Amino acid sequence: MPSLGALALPLAKVGEVSEGFFHERNSETLPCQASSSHLFCFGWAKENIDSFATPTVQQLELVLFSVLAGFVVAIALALLAHRRRWLQAPLLAITGVIYTVPSIAFFFLLLPVTGLGRDTVIVALSAYTLQIIYRNAIAGLANVPAATRDAARGMGLTERQILWRVELPLATPEIVAGLRVAAVSTVALATFAVFVNGGGLGSKIYSQSNLTFPTSIIIAGGIAMLMALAFHLALVGIERYTTPWRRVAAG
Amino acid sequence: MPAAEATDQGSSAVASSVRYENATKRYGESAEAAVEGLNLEVPAGEVCVLVGPSGCGKTTAMRLVNRTVELSEGDVLIGGESVRKRDPARLRREIGYVIQEVGLFPHRTIAENIGTVPQLLGWKKERIAARTRELIELIGLDPELGERYPAQLSGGQQQRVGVARALAADPPVMLMDEPFGAIDPINRERLQNEFLRLQAEIRKTILFVTHDIDEAIKMGDRIAIMRRGGRLAQFATPAELLMAPADEFVEDFVGADRALKRLALMRVADIDLWEAPLAHVGQATAEVRAKLAGAEVPYPLLVDSERRPLGWLSERDLAGETVPARPDSPLGPLLDRDDVMRDALADLLQGEAQYAAVTDRQGRIDGVLSVEIISEFLASPKAKVEENSAVERPRG
Repeated sequence: MPSLGALALPLAKVGEVSEGFFHERNSETLPCQASSSHLFCFGWAKENIDSFATPTVQQLELVLFSVLAGFVVAIALALLAHRRRWLQAPLLAITGVIYTVPSIAFFFLLLPVTGLGRDTVIVALSAYTLQIIYRNAIAGLANVPAATRDAARGMGLTERQILWRVELPLATPEIVAGLRVAAVSTVALATFAVFVNGGGLGSKIYSQSNLTFPTSIIIAGGIAMLMALAFHLALVGIERYTTPWRRVAAG
Repeated sequence: MPAAEATDQGSSAVASSVRYENATKRYGESAEAAVEGLNLEVPAGEVCVLVGPSGCGKTTAMRLVNRTVELSEGDVLIGGESVRKRDPARLRREIGYVIQEVGLFPHRTIAENIGTVPQLLGWKKERIAARTRELIELIGLDPELGERYPAQLSGGQQQRVGVARALAADPPVMLMDEPFGAIDPINRERLQNEFLRLQAEIRKTILFVTHDIDEAIKMGDRIAIMRRGGRLAQFATPAELLMAPADEFVEDFVGADRALKRLALMRVADIDLWEAPLAHVGQATAEVRAKLAGAEVPYPLLVDSERRPLGWLSERDLAGETVPARPDSPLGPLLDRDDVMRDALADLLQGEAQYAAVTDRQGRIDGVLSVEIISEFLASPKAKVEENSAVERPRG
């Protein structure tokens, strides 16, 4: 969170120009927010909590669409590289490089292509998930024991059957783990969507003069953390549910 | 398609012959082939053991049959039909495949593992379930284990499941690559005996790969010894191999203790065992003493109500009025009727026991064995007849 504050500082200065900020706030709670020593104004929070609903839903949608899109592409790449070994290193390098592009810069680079709005954000966030999901998928597929593959082939399963009935099911734990990391980090990154009119909780962090009013940041940040936690727990649950054989103790 | 080439015994099991015709496998540009011009015929219903030093191509030769390794030259025929003509995946569904590491699917239950090939072949659910139940019983496992996962089973249990899985679709041919190699020696012996009993019932054509010549002699109806470079050194019955090795390589490989190895050709069941006087807990010692008087074995054996041996009784045990529950001497080595003579002798010597109880499959007392009995038997004409007939005809 501190780093976000540092980034938002120049933009807050830009926002302060518009006097609309001060009029959005309820006059009853003016005393609380007027004094900068207050970290959290409960009164304001109670009054304005409803205004967080839409940004939360937007954030959720951004994360879901991005992770889903990233998952589909990453798995496709992993399946491609699983059979053609020579592709593995280059794809890992490409997805890795994509991951290093700073988020807001990535958004701005995409503007000419996808314009302002949600699409830009989803393209960028999906791209960020590629590395972790692809890498985990490849590792998961590679971890299938050679003896299991040998037995499957020797019994008469075709290559396709081996992939779908043996290799992918056994790679599920690693893939879901990759999804989990991707989802949690995407929740954090999605807060930057506001910079290209993508909506989300970022609008509650950056659109207001946050340096003198931390309440909004704290609420938005809190919601984001809860969302990340929810994704984490949900995916842990999915992993447990889809891998019953790992739950049993070794004989 | 596998022909129903029935065996001599006329069993109902379907088995096909396997013939290698100048089969060759070469990798890349290397001068030495992995398998070189192999010519071999395994009659239907027999166990052919491929044995040899590491790198002799025995596993490669086995894999040529189900095309997990592709032929460079020559052909392999199953039931007279070339394997080259079949689609590899379809071909493999008709060949049982057991490997050393077993390779059970960790994410499937035991029942699902066993039902893999039947499912691929499109069997109906009820038929698969029935067959799975039948096989779990056949391999001697508790039926409730069907719902467990492989990780919950011991190594020996997993190995049995591997065999059941290979048998599921009742294939005419089975390939086994060092199936008991990863098992500890005690359980390995047990699994070998059980497998031989199974094979006596189902009579499948089996290609069995091992590096252990003793296992080859025990398990094989015929043995194919291969030398490095994938060449066949000798193809013969175990008896012939031991009594007439083809060359120095075979002689060396079989080992200097050939005479001792011949003991592996006979089974405990072949001998006329001596009888020990049996005693039950609480029985009057006077009765037991009376039995001892004319017995072949001078010690009474304590058994339970099911005639299962519990221990040997000493003079001290018979001092009282009735037979005590805890005998002085431990039971010592317990032998199986189906054990090969060599293993039985080894157990006797290992246990430093003079006499060892022999039990049947249910664990009930069958008779008593000792070193004396074995040596008497070996000297008898009956033993010579057994040995000579084993040369022509594999064990049956």
